[in-house]
Amino acid sequence: MSDEQFDDLIERVAAELREPVALRPDFDARVMARVQQARPRGMGRVLQWLVAPRQVAISPLTGLAAACALILGFWFALAQGRSSRMVAPAAVERVADERLAAEVEVVRFVLVAPGANAVALVGDFNGWDTGSTPLRPVGATDVWSVEVPLVRGAHEYAFVIDGREWRADPAAPRAGSNDFGPPNSVVIVGARAS
Amino acid sequence: MMSRSVSPSPFLRVPCRGLLVMVLCLPGSTSPVGGQDSPLAGRLDPVTQEAVLATVDSARARGLPAEPLVAKALEGAAKGAPADRIVSAVRALAADLGSARAALGASVDAADVVAGAGVLRAGASPALLHDLRSARGPLGVGVPLAVLTSLMGRGVPVDTAAAVVLDLARRGAPDAHYAGLERRVLQDIGAGVPPGAAVAARAPAGAPVPPVAPSAGLARPAPPAGSQGPVRRP
Repeated sequence: MSDEQFDDLIERVAAELREPVALRPDFDARVMARVQQARPRGMGRVLQWLVAPRQVAISPLTGLAAACALILGFWFALAQGRSSRMVAPAAVERVADERLAAEVEVVRFVLVAPGANAVALVGDFNGWDTGSTPLRPVGATDVWSVEVPLVRGAHEYAFVIDGREWRADPAAPRAGSNDFGPPNSVVIVGARAS
Repeated sequence: MMSRSVSPSPFLRVPCRGLLVMVLCLPGSTSPVGGQDSPLAGRLDPVTQEAVLATVDSARARGLPAEPLVAKALEGAAKGAPADRIVSAVRALAADLGSARAALGASVDAADVVAGAGVLRAGASPALLHDLRSARGPLGVGVPLAVLTSLMGRGVPVDTAAAVVLDLARRGAPDAHYAGLERRVLQDIGAGVPPGAAVAARAPAGAPVPPVAPSAGLARPAPPAGSQGPVRRP
């Protein structure tokens, strides 16, 4: 084929392509009907929206802020979890306290100790700690006193005068055991009918 | 502001790794719970502490109250007792707690077990606790044990105190009768009557009180004026 023949062929194809395409009058309506049929409805539409891939455009600063917000959210959730875990024991403690309150009595201990500079109460209720329950002088007398809440049961105790002299309560029953030298007294809390 | 496009997957994937690391590193998120210091720490040397804790653990495993054992060890430490004496005292108390529990039964609470052990250490027999528990039934042994402790602790001979209290239990006496007996006996002792004689005189008619010498019981000197013993606040 010569160049003239080829140009002529090109011109005739182009002329054919330039001719307008004749469409049927209902073409638009039929296309829209097909589109409506292909479009998902209800949950399918939502699902398609959810799974359709898309691109998100964010700045590095926005991404950092989002990450921080996420971390804070996790942290807050953990803190909430911890505080809710702490609420349960507090409630248990409150119940235990209420039950304990029914089994606790305040007991006044008194000792006449002429010439004493300091008197301490020691017993199984304070770990026999000479520094935890000091008695206070009653006025300008030789009487020393302290009040201590004790739970129900038998408690052994003694007084320590001036940090060195152990003395049982002269007005209380003696404890049955005497394992370490200085005798103890005993007070029984709760089990009394009078 | 300059923007860049990223796909959602890498965005989520990378921070998640970082988040996991950060969450694991959050303060307290991986720390163990508990870790309370032993009350014996600093009060006993390590060897004594270990021996005491072994007895405490053994007692706890048997369902016995552990607090009196710890308190006994602390008492020994406060009084400057040697280590072997502390350990032997704690073991002896554990044995008495076990005997009291066995005699009183599993239904009594820890306070009654401790009170029962105190009665045993004052010289009473486990049989007394068992008989007392059987005689009292649902009334419980708290008040009789308290009165026993009080009487024996004021010098009443063990046999005498045990006989009177057990007799009350077998008669089905209410708690108020025990308290009344104790009150009258203490009044008599305060008036100078020997403890054994005071209980014998105040025992209910027909109570099998063993014969007591007029001076039976360990009379103690009268407390100084102003002494009143522990007083429970109403």
